[in-house]
Amino acid sequence: MEFFERFAIPHPSPMIYASMVAIALVSIGILVGITYFKKWGYLWHEWFTSVDHKKIGIMYLISALIMLFRGGADAILMRAQLSSPEMKLLDAQHYNEIFTTHGVVMIFFVVMPFIFAFMNLIVPLQIGGRDVAFPRLNALSFWLFFAGAMLFNISFVIGGSPDAGWTSYFPLAGNDFSTSVGTNYYMLALQISGIGSLMTGINMITTILKMRAPGMTLMKLPMFTWSALITNVIIVFAFPVLTIALLMGTTDRLFGTNFFTTGNGGMDMLWANFFWVWGHPEVYILILPAFGLYSEIISTFSGRNLYGYKSMVGSMVLISLLSFLVWTHHFFTMGQGAFTNSIFSITTMAIAVPTGVKIFNWLFTMWKGKIRFTVPMLYSVGFIPLFTIGGVTGVMLAMSAADYQYHNTMFLVAHFHNTIIPGVLFALLAGLTYYWPKFFGFMLNEKIGKSTFWLVAVGFVLTFFPMYITGLDGQARRMYTYSEETGFGPLNMLSFVGSALFAIGFVTLVYNLYYSFKNSPRNIGSDPWDARSVEWATHTPIPEYNFARLPQVASSEAFWDMKKKGHKLFTGELKEIHMPNNSGVPFVLGIIFFIAGFSFVFALWVPAVVAVIGIFVCMALRSFEQDHGRHINVKEIKEIEAQYEEVPGNEDRSHTTTRV
Amino acid sequence: MKELFPAKQVMGFVFSLILTAVALLVYFTNMSFAVGMTILLVTAFIQAFLQLVVFMHAGESKDSSAIYTNIVYGIILAAITIFGSLLILIWDM
Amino acid sequence: MKIDHTQPLEYSTDQNQLNILGFWIFLGAEIMLFATLFTAYFTLEGRTGSGPTPADIFEITPVLIETFVLLTSSFTIGLGVHAMRLGRKNAMLTFFGITLLLGLGFLGVEIYEFTHYYHVGATYQTSAFTAALLTTLGTHGAHVTLGLFWGLFIILQVKKRGLTPENANKSFIFSLYWHFLDVVWIFIFSFIYLKGMMM
Repeated sequence: MEFFERFAIPHPSPMIYASMVAIALVSIGILVGITYFKKWGYLWHEWFTSVDHKKIGIMYLISALIMLFRGGADAILMRAQLSSPEMKLLDAQHYNEIFTTHGVVMIFFVVMPFIFAFMNLIVPLQIGGRDVAFPRLNALSFWLFFAGAMLFNISFVIGGSPDAGWTSYFPLAGNDFSTSVGTNYYMLALQISGIGSLMTGINMITTILKMRAPGMTLMKLPMFTWSALITNVIIVFAFPVLTIALLMGTTDRLFGTNFFTTGNGGMDMLWANFFWVWGHPEVYILILPAFGLYSEIISTFSGRNLYGYKSMVGSMVLISLLSFLVWTHHFFTMGQGAFTNSIFSITTMAIAVPTGVKIFNWLFTMWKGKIRFTVPMLYSVGFIPLFTIGGVTGVMLAMSAADYQYHNTMFLVAHFHNTIIPGVLFALLAGLTYYWPKFFGFMLNEKIGKSTFWLVAVGFVLTFFPMYITGLDGQARRMYTYSEETGFGPLNMLSFVGSALFAIGFVTLVYNLYYSFKNSPRNIGSDPWDARSVEWATHTPIPEYNFARLPQVASSEAFWDMKKKGHKLFTGELKEIHMPNNSGVPFVLGIIFFIAGFSFVFALWVPAVVAVIGIFVCMALRSFEQDHGRHINVKEIKEIEAQYEEVPGNEDRSHTTTRV
Repeated sequence: MKELFPAKQVMGFVFSLILTAVALLVYFTNMSFAVGMTILLVTAFIQAFLQLVVFMHAGESKDSSAIYTNIVYGIILAAITIFGSLLILIWDM
Repeated sequence: MKIDHTQPLEYSTDQNQLNILGFWIFLGAEIMLFATLFTAYFTLEGRTGSGPTPADIFEITPVLIETFVLLTSSFTIGLGVHAMRLGRKNAMLTFFGITLLLGLGFLGVEIYEFTHYYHVGATYQTSAFTAALLTTLGTHGAHVTLGLFWGLFIILQVKKRGLTPENANKSFIFSLYWHFLDVVWIFIFSFIYLKGMMM
């Protein structure tokens, strides 16, 4: 019995017990359902072992949406707890756990997989390629992310959630002050999913540098792919810092080392330093792909090519370097001298310049354009003013002297949500709506989509703008309650109302997926938005090999050139196509990593060692394996291509492309 | 037999041994910390560069510009991380 | 598989070129990984608590042996790749074998070094300095250990399947890895050991 006590929740409450039951029931339901409908074989062959970038992208997308609801539930609980003074909904410990998991889940398990979903779905298509450079590694990245996400989420019902904030500052996160295994979960889950992210970074850079279609020089890359390239460069150089910081945090907690302790020479500030050396570039890892999506959407729905292509690229390259030069602004008040703070104040303000350049470019793209206010465009148009407000408050926070007033208040919380929500979340929802028809063959309902936009946008403003005021009045972040005398009550109630609207917005999003699946017409062709870049030049649904012939590209908008200027996109003879084989090893490795992580969390050394050996055995097997993939011959390609002509609504392409 | 030992690589090896010997001066002779660190920085970076070009053939493929950009970028960011952190945590504390 | 005979074997297919570039990018990430370890070490090297200082525990002899052994192994793996390009399979295997033996020797000295630290009271838990030192050395040592297995697998594959484009590619990438570990060691040698003994 003693052995099992370690798995108990240290601070149980009826809510957690109810969730345990719900999680158990849902899991059993899913397993029974799959068995009943005999879908195991389908899942295994079509999804779990798939190395197809499109399927991996869709798996990222589904995981991100599920995690969004987990993170969103945390958020609404926090707003409910703060909605009026002295609320008794959550106690201090639960509030700590919830703001911690909200942050971690949203950053690592919602936004990261969401951007990886778009990179996987779009980058190979935009460069006119057939897959990524290392398809098997790509599958492994996904399963490592998934193992990390699952490991993090079971902390909630086995052993206790982390409670030291998403930044997990030491010494708070050390053994003395965080006695439950929660922070172990944090360290290991992020380690596992971080390894996956690093692999994606290497994979995507190689893909973009080496696998572009004929004629597509770097300066003819569509803007989303450029943003993906820069993002992955940042990932490759930033994530190793997190790897080491997490390694040190783990050894501090499990093996009694003294990196971040307060005794024997340990330096707690070193954690904060490493965390933000990784953490600030991470901010740009989140926002740059979003900028890429906005660029695609704004140029499509303004009917104009992107204004200032070169300055867009230049500003992103500059951001990739500057993003590594500003990290101290996350802890201006933690003891370093005025000289250091001044340097980092200046670099922080400097990084606003390339971002500003991009804002003007989008505005000039819309200038004199024939704007179509579709749902993706609404998000993009809403993004520009709202994000600018977030950017301006960021410049306020960048002044290190003034930061002593703002730091650790709701003002900061308002600021970063004001950049992340209009900046990243809007882009992801816009991108979801925009690319949905390409990958699922039907469009999302515009009317419901517009109401989602308005609910989310108004909900966002009502939730976060009041926090600027309460923050300046001194309401501290991460405090589970406040007294009536502070006068924060009414504005916090307004925030709660806003977050409720936000939540309703997400319900309408889910309803939209269901409604459109049931009702949307399927004969939409392959280019429903009248778009501009090459990813729209292939069929819908996209054949396994993406393009029967690789496109011949002469500009960043080759598809538009084809439609309007008679550019020949697909020429030449059909050739045999080489495709990678599926593999179950990435999935198995994901499970082994999960077991290893779980064993480390609870210091169960025997299974931990066995699992680590299992990882190396998988690597050894891979070394000896000979897998040269398979070939799709010309006859098969012709058969597949012929199917598309029979689909009604697809004839819109046949007069412009040379068909088989 | 001779073709197995190309002059370029043998010279590279000899040179790296010499550089190691020079670096050892800071241990075997008495010099100030600043001079010692300068010697170490110079010898270490020349050695690293030697490995990169002579042994790792960084410049030979058509991706050499991507490879050099990658390495130089890594070195710049490594320097920023090391010196920035030292500035924050030690020099300006 | 299309093989381009104008290129060295390890570059001769598209996938081979992708693998080499991908590995270089991975090495970029490794630069940051070790830079982070060095940052921790430089920050914490003076924070010895009640434990020993760098000058107390470092010994020049094992460090010199390790340095010489690893430098030589970097040379021999370079010769191995050269022999591979000449198509001399047996010479290549010999050089790869020597490299791995030298790597094994390096690891042996490093294990001796770690036991020495343990005996003079510099354990993993002693102080921030010892934790940073042992983690940095240990990460490098773990890389070498992994490399020994990897190199062994490659030797077996070349033996069994010959110098195919695939095996040549693997061997070349392994040589990149091994040279990189030598570069890291040069920095450990200069800025951990020599700097520590100078102070």
